[in-house]
Amino acid sequence: MVNRRKALITGLLLLIGYAVVQLMLSMGLIDPFYENMLMNIGINIMLAVSLHLIIGVTGQFSIGHAGFLAVGAYVSAVLTTKLDQPFLPAILAAGVAAALFGILVGVPTLRLRGDYLAIATLGFGEIVRITLYNIDYVGGAAGMQVRHLTNWTYLYIAVIVMIIVIANLTNSAHGRALLAIREDEVAAEAMGVNTTYYKVLAFAVGAFFAGIAGAMYAHQFYVIQPVAFGFLKSFEILVIVVLGGIGSLSGAILAATLLSLVNIYLQAFPETRMILYSLVLILVMLYRPQGLMGNREITDLLKRRLGKEA
Amino acid sequence: MRVLETRGLGIRFGGLRAVQELDLFLDQGELVALIGPNGAGKTTVFNMLTGVYKPTEGEIRFFGERIDGMSPYALTRKGIARTFQNIRLFQQLSVLDNVRIAHQVNTHHTFIDSILRLPRFGREERRMLEESRALLETMGLLAVADEAARNLSYGQQRRLEIARALATHPKLLLLDEPAAGMNPRETHELMEMIERVRKTFGMTILLIEHDMSLVMNISERIYVLDHGVLIAHGGPEDVRKNPRVIEAYLGEAAEDALA
Ligand SMILES: Nc1ncnc2c1ncn2[C@@H]1O[C@H](COP(=O)(O)OP(=O)(O)OP(=O)(O)O)[C@@H](O)[C@H]1O
Ligand SMILES: [Mg+2]
Repeated sequence: MVNRRKALITGLLLLIGYAVVQLMLSMGLIDPFYENMLMNIGINIMLAVSLHLIIGVTGQFSIGHAGFLAVGAYVSAVLTTKLDQPFLPAILAAGVAAALFGILVGVPTLRLRGDYLAIATLGFGEIVRITLYNIDYVGGAAGMQVRHLTNWTYLYIAVIVMIIVIANLTNSAHGRALLAIREDEVAAEAMGVNTTYYKVLAFAVGAFFAGIAGAMYAHQFYVIQPVAFGFLKSFEILVIVVLGGIGSLSGAILAATLLSLVNIYLQAFPETRMILYSLVLILVMLYRPQGLMGNREITDLLKRRLGKEA
Repeated sequence: MRVLETRGLGIRFGGLRAVQELDLFLDQGELVALIGPNGAGKTTVFNMLTGVYKPTEGEIRFFGERIDGMSPYALTRKGIARTFQNIRLFQQLSVLDNVRIAHQVNTHHTFIDSILRLPRFGREERRMLEESRALLETMGLLAVADEAARNLSYGQQRRLEIARALATHPKLLLLDEPAAGMNPRETHELMEMIERVRKTFGMTILLIEHDMSLVMNISERIYVLDHGVLIAHGGPEDVRKNPRVIEAYLGEAAEDALA
């Protein structure tokens, strides 16, 4: 059972990775600056990989991902801060609420393709932001104070669970149905793929994890404001997915890590960030339209190397 | 047994009556051809039979059950599979995955099974893999199973289209100009393969062909469509001699000569 052994080794490595960082954190070896950076990377990985499922795997060009992030952030924040609920159920509620919005967006946009779908999802993101802006209960433009509850353990588990779910989903008959939709919707239907169901599924699962990312985000940075969930945030997530290579999960993780690192050092100059993103996007389009990883995975590259040595 | 039957089938695109008053049937195990000049409405008939277009007139029955208006995926699940005239493979995916996607019509593991990798997932995936490889073997594509579909030769792509359709376990197979763009040798091999498929799987086949001579030998009956109207129906010999058919094809030859 090669597979079982591989799973065991991977599991062990993941556990060690977790334990080492946790130990360093509790011994105070990682200062708050780097801890923050770590959290940022984790949240961006969640956003990028969940959008990767919608764009990279299913081929639905959605640019309203920050909307799902916002739903998750606000739902969880209201639960913990206003209603004094514990964090864990708030995280799950954030995911479920965002997934419901995913279905809500998924259903009417089923008939839309390409540019039209992009515009509709963009509209969704803006509606969420503007609605939050106008609800006094959650502080309107000033936003909400949120307790700091996110920690390394929660985020690590969330990221790993998400990667396992999305990778396992992709590498199954259901994932191939999603890929078929990306490749040719008419042919997919003709092969018996219920494209309606699968598109909504992709939106729901993608939104679910973006919502969980929202819960992590809200309880990491003390305050949430509608302005943080605008188009620019959606654009940022899109840039990560494109940079990683549309269709590559490991590419999304790699690019999320890279851009988060760059971001930290540019935090003081928000305008420069947007210029940088635009530049990255243009350069990728010009010189490497397939992104860093193309549609391959890191595991493919490892396999190739091992294959050569064998 | 009557596999397929249409009555008064028709569709309008604005003012254009692309197909009208079409009565057509297929019995179990038959190989029937649908021929006609360019723009006659052949592909449009397929699009109605497979739910891509909703007919504006008439009805379609599949094993006696009304199926007009059903969605394409539901019809595939009922047992109607097709190939596309303008090849529509999943270009970036492997040959094997192209076939496996079609096989998933018959899987029973839910996406929860997949995410949690429950035993049912492993069983079903293994079964799909074996069936897909067997099918690729039959179609002479096993050697290129791991290639991306877009890297195949034109003839291989056409064969993969058929393999993919077969993977859905159809009761009725609709082939839209499967020999288009092939050289005479490839065409000959293809026709033999269609015969073989028909025998091994006991399949009922409706075959669209532009070129009349190609289908004369292998089909039991032939329907001839021209400008959306059925102008002839019968055995190959009757159809060949039918003056309206000759006229339709002569007209086309004349148009070609003028062009
Ligand atoms: N979606 C559509 N909208 C408008 N007109 C259409 C549509 N689909 C087909 N037609 C028209 O219907 C007529 C029949 O087209 P169809 O593709 O069925 O012909 P065909 O017999 O398959 O021809 P060919 O041998 O060239 O493949 C043509 O005039 C075509 O332009
Ligand atoms: Mg046609």
